[in-house]
Amino acid sequence: MKSPASASWKAPLKFRMPAAENLVPIRLDIEVDGQRYKDAFTWNPYDPDSEVVMFAKRTVKDLKLAPGFLPQIVQFIQLATFRSYAGQDMYVGDKIVPIKLDLRVDHTVIRDQFLWDLNNFDSDPEEFARTLCKDVGIEDPEVGPAIALAIREQLYEIAIQNVTSARENRINKKGRRAAEHFPISKPSGAALDLMKLFRSSVVRKRKEWDYYKPVLDLLSNEDVDALEAKEERSG
Amino acid sequence: MENKPRHDPNPDSTRPEEPELDLYTIPSYSSWFAWNDIHETERQALKEFFEGSSISRTPKVYKEYRDFIINKYREDPSRRLTFTEVRKSLIGDVTLLHKVFRFLETWGLINFVAPPPPRQGSDSDDRVRVEDGAPNGVRVVATPNSLRPLLAPVVKGKKSGDGVEESGVQLPHLASYSDVFGDLKRLHCANCGDNCDSGYYEYKKVNFVVCVKCFKSGNYGEGKSMDDFELKDCSEKSATNGVVWTEEETLLLLDSVMKHWDDWDLVAQNVQTKSKLDCITKLIELPFGESLIDSAKGGGYSSSTSMNMIGMKPVCLTSSEHQENIINEDQGYDGTIENEKNGDSENQEPPSKKKRTASISDADSSLMKQVARISTMVDPQITAAAAEAAVAMLSDEMSCPREIFYGDQIDLTNGSLSPTLRADAIGESEIQERSSPSESQEIHLKNSDVPLPLRIRAAVATGLGAAAARAKLLALQEEREIEHLVATVIEAQLKKLQSKVKHCEDAELLMEKEYAAIDEFKEHILGERINILRTTHNTGTAKLLEPSSVQSQTGNIS
Repeated sequence: MKSPASASWKAPLKFRMPAAENLVPIRLDIEVDGQRYKDAFTWNPYDPDSEVVMFAKRTVKDLKLAPGFLPQIVQFIQLATFRSYAGQDMYVGDKIVPIKLDLRVDHTVIRDQFLWDLNNFDSDPEEFARTLCKDVGIEDPEVGPAIALAIREQLYEIAIQNVTSARENRINKKGRRAAEHFPISKPSGAALDLMKLFRSSVVRKRKEWDYYKPVLDLLSNEDVDALEAKEERSG
Repeated sequence: MENKPRHDPNPDSTRPEEPELDLYTIPSYSSWFAWNDIHETERQALKEFFEGSSISRTPKVYKEYRDFIINKYREDPSRRLTFTEVRKSLIGDVTLLHKVFRFLETWGLINFVAPPPPRQGSDSDDRVRVEDGAPNGVRVVATPNSLRPLLAPVVKGKKSGDGVEESGVQLPHLASYSDVFGDLKRLHCANCGDNCDSGYYEYKKVNFVVCVKCFKSGNYGEGKSMDDFELKDCSEKSATNGVVWTEEETLLLLDSVMKHWDDWDLVAQNVQTKSKLDCITKLIELPFGESLIDSAKGGGYSSSTSMNMIGMKPVCLTSSEHQENIINEDQGYDGTIENEKNGDSENQEPPSKKKRTASISDADSSLMKQVARISTMVDPQITAAAAEAAVAMLSDEMSCPREIFYGDQIDLTNGSLSPTLRADAIGESEIQERSSPSESQEIHLKNSDVPLPLRIRAAVATGLGAAAARAKLLALQEEREIEHLVATVIEAQLKKLQSKVKHCEDAELLMEKEYAAIDEFKEHILGERINILRTTHNTGTAKLLEPSSVQSQTGNIS
């Protein structure tokens, strides 16, 4: 087994979503004239067919929103895509981060925790969500996409953190050889220490098993209404 | 590590302290698997673990994953092991774990005897939920973005093949011609997407079209001002420009076309009520009109053809729109008749299969003449098509024409193909008639390097050959008929003779019998006479004194 110091070093890649498909997660929460629009979806900023303005118009039309929503929606999406840090260098290597799920979709509440490799570009949040729903037996078709979205959001955040911290590091070390060598022994906050993790067995202790499995709750109608009312008040 | 039950049980070599060995089933294609080793298959499929790229991906880690998963499955082989169950127990990237899991499942090392997964999930996931309006007011709608743009085309139009399956039952709309091609012609407002049928405003600089409503309301996108738009009224472009032709006018038109082939001014004069352009348009629209125009251009025709035209005209006019004889060009000739007129033209689509012309009233003597007559009455394109078809048919029958038409060597002269019969003679006369117009009408050239006259000759020869062969066959048939009839006649004669002979025999028989009878009778009479003499003799010689009477008696007797 090779020592980590002599691990092969790959050339830095341009920033992209750490998943098989380069989709940006977007969460909207806009209020105009007493109407509140909450939505969450993924957006492909590199798709030539998807035009922000057209999508926004369609949304306003379909959901019968006030026309004042249109510029806001467009703005939000554009902001999100511009913030996608395209062109920035990303740190490459193995990057295992914990992902937590804690969301409610209609009547289903799901809580879960697992590890995700940021640098595994074959990873597919949608597929993971699909498998999860299938294995646990969730029938509500909205749950899967919501899970995938939540995963993407977290990945996105972490990736951004990566880039900003890397930039900071680079700026700090400007005097020395700048963007060439990243000290592997200093992982960013979100990533876990791989050495510690993989040192011994990769099989978890039994008592930890329950933390890393999905917990499913099905709510009754009253619970749903109560929760929604609470959200509205707090939001 | 705990004692794991091996998958290759050997019940013979049992030691008392070893646990009972269970038998696990794995498929034969996975027989490479071994607990203690990592096989090449695994290395190939899961390269990530063997590249030494990271501390989290090592062969040791892989082996641990693999062993754990398989053992987990074997705790209860009859139940299906899900990925979620194992990933909670293993540290590592879930995607990679999933890959290992799938690898093991594909190779049957896990879930091999377990029941198949329940199907309920996949169907409902694939179904697209179309919600009308906002669900329960405006709230979190967790539909992925990818669905939304798809809704637009379904709502907008029915383009071919663009069916998003809304439920398993509803099928995408089948596109009709107007759907597919109508949109090309119809213009859509770039703004609101409505059809601009009545009138529209066209942006002069770029191809941008806005309907009247949008123009008025001012939504035509950024950067365009009102002045830049040009109003274009699409009035209905009716094919006949709204002109109505009565029967008399049509009659007059055709009359005048017959008289002054090409001179449209005169034609228009004759048909006083219509302009030159109208006349031409109407003529083109008539089913046979184009051929008239073409024949007008062609000029020199043999008298028979012009006669046919004129003979055809009144028939046509009386039955212009209603029942007519529909002659299908290729039908009835078995492809053995060749049209020499444009025998080597390129293959064009026949403009219409049914040709509304008058029937050929006089059934001509020779088939060739009929064919020639028909070919003069129709479009050159049709004859070309018929010729092409005939050539194809002939090529199928014989190899020689195939060589000629679809090969490169040409060494054929007229009539060398088959023995000449009287069909040839007729054919040749036709050729004389046709040769001048056919050569003068070299309209199309085939895209091969065979020179034209040779092809014509070859075509002619083939036609003649075919006709001659047919004629010979007919002649042979006639001969056989004759023979047959002669035989019948002879038979009849024989029969007559036979009956005569029989008759004679009968007569002979009768005669013989009669002869015999007469003989008998003769004897009988003789006997009687002798008796009478005797008795007279015996009665007395007294009558000797009367010598005269005795002499007379004896005289009588002898």
